[in-house]
Amino acid sequence: MIEIKSVTKTYGKKNNAFKALDDVSFTIPDGASVAIVGKSGSGKSTLMHAMSGLDRPEVGEVIIDGVDILKLKSKAVDKFRSEKIGFIFQAFFVQANETSFENVALPLEIASMSPGARKKRVEAALRVVGLSDKEKQKARNLSGGQKQRLAIARAIVNQPRIIFADEPTGNLDTVTGGSVENLLFGLNKKGGSALVIVTHDEELAAKCDMQIYIKDGKIDRIVGGKQ
Amino acid sequence: MKTFDIVRRAGRSLKNAKARTILTSLAIAVGAFTLTIAIAAGEGARQYANTLLTTNIDPQILAIAKNKEFFEGGQSNPQEYREDTDLFARPTGTSVALLNQDDIDKIASRDEIVSVSPSYTISAEYITRPDQKKYTVDVTQYDTGVTQTVTAGELPELRTSIKDDEIAIPEAYIELLGFRDAQSAIGQTVTIHLERTPNVTQQQVQEALTKGPEALAALSATQSKDFTYTIVAVVGKSATALAATANVQVSESSARTMSEFSTEGTASYKKYFIATASVKEGIDPAVVKEALVAQGYGVQTAKDLQGLLFTIVNVLQGIVFGFGILALITSVFGIINTQYISVLERTREIGLMKALGMRGRHVSRLFQFEAAWIGFLGGVLGSLFAVIAGLLLNPWITNLLTLGEGNYLLIFQPIPIVALVIILMLIAMLAGYFPARKAAKLDPIEALRTE
Repeated sequence: MIEIKSVTKTYGKKNNAFKALDDVSFTIPDGASVAIVGKSGSGKSTLMHAMSGLDRPEVGEVIIDGVDILKLKSKAVDKFRSEKIGFIFQAFFVQANETSFENVALPLEIASMSPGARKKRVEAALRVVGLSDKEKQKARNLSGGQKQRLAIARAIVNQPRIIFADEPTGNLDTVTGGSVENLLFGLNKKGGSALVIVTHDEELAAKCDMQIYIKDGKIDRIVGGKQ
Repeated sequence: MKTFDIVRRAGRSLKNAKARTILTSLAIAVGAFTLTIAIAAGEGARQYANTLLTTNIDPQILAIAKNKEFFEGGQSNPQEYREDTDLFARPTGTSVALLNQDDIDKIASRDEIVSVSPSYTISAEYITRPDQKKYTVDVTQYDTGVTQTVTAGELPELRTSIKDDEIAIPEAYIELLGFRDAQSAIGQTVTIHLERTPNVTQQQVQEALTKGPEALAALSATQSKDFTYTIVAVVGKSATALAATANVQVSESSARTMSEFSTEGTASYKKYFIATASVKEGIDPAVVKEALVAQGYGVQTAKDLQGLLFTIVNVLQGIVFGFGILALITSVFGIINTQYISVLERTREIGLMKALGMRGRHVSRLFQFEAAWIGFLGGVLGSLFAVIAGLLLNPWITNLLTLGEGNYLLIFQPIPIVALVIILMLIAMLAGYFPARKAAKLDPIEALRTE
């Protein structure tokens, strides 16, 4: 369960102060798929950063598995991210000059896993996204869809509690995007890790269990879920 | 993140930027090359100096002077006058105290000393042999503590002198004195001519005055004496011989006879600049030196001479070293520059790694290890080039400087080279510190912004 309690994030100071998030509260059940929907500049990315421990709102609580990550020291937050969070980005952010294997192994290296255990996990993750045959290929030789699949493999390899996907299909054509969507939702149904998709694509949002609409840093409405 | 994984990742990043990596490490390689050569040349010069000394000089030999100023270029300050001290004015304007027979006896009476031989001052007029021209000559006593290269004939082994009627002459005189070659000179005789102006007393002058001008002329006439010797050896020039002397050499007692003949009646009669003493086998010459220095003498051991040569070597090595250090300083800025560019280029990658939970400390280490790899590569390349160049140039240098067969100026040893590479890696890591810190401080949110 993920609980967000009255989270407020302010940029700038005094007269120039701008509230990117203003008293945001909601709860996401375990293993649910959630869409955070809003226009550009609405604060949806800031919310994702706050939930994943990348950013530190000055007010509020982000409780994941009973721990308020905003109260953790930076070292513990880094450990939390490396163990419990997976990221998928619109621009993929795969390392073009590294092989598929090396790309997927990165989170496990960061989590100090031994090379033997790493190999098994990486191979399993690549199998799940259907890139087993590209293990030794450099990421630059993959197509856009394959790159995003690789990014998904990297996001699931450490078996996280929550996967954050920031406009995961934004750079893909409809067909490829559709297959990536199917992969994401399929994993969510099977795997038990919560899926948080940040998007302005209503169609994609509709496929989630729950939709949180953000407008000017405030929750506009929440659809679905137990509210 | 495990250090091993960071090191591996660092190596992989460098492989992906080959041209930049190689160019940056070449800058370090220049420094490493210079430093390796400097170390090798220093080592080579020291070993050469050592060979020179150990093969030439009896380690038990002491050089003794009246006081320590002798080895420091003479007295430059006014000294208290002492009746029992004889001074000799050097042409340089300084004066040195001389040893007298009492000193020689005193040194010889010590238990640790086997023998003492003063160095005689001999002013010979010329050397010649029948039916040949006369040539100027410097005569010195045969030094039993130094080995010499012999072109023809034979010299006795260390610590044994040639006989009193024998002489060793340098190669230069062979042709001058009309010998066909060095070998044909062996066993032949040469004559050395000495002259002196007699010391005349007041009484002798007055007696002569009464006898007329002839007697007076006879009294003041120069006296001369011829000494004839048999050639036992012709001494050649050698790269590893310290005594590449142009002097003819006679035995100690011959030298004494000649010296006493030419100095009799003068102030330097039986006075010596320097004496060499041979210390008993098994006794450290340094201990004897200390005892003699306590008595006021100036003493130098074979080791002191080595120290002097080493000082010169060290100074020269230091100069080359300085250039190496300069090259290194330049390359440090090169590393800082490349690594800053690398951090800028890889903003995304750094942001991603930090988002995935990599500690800032580990990001910093990643970049420092990259710098260390560059240092390693530069160090290995530089020292490798230096070793190859050194091995190729050594025979040529040996030939050019006439160091003698088997002596090399550049001697490469593994430990200093390994130490150098390690030091270069540390320096490179230090240079990588600032870019690494920049990478560590990068905000992942900023780094991953797509627009």
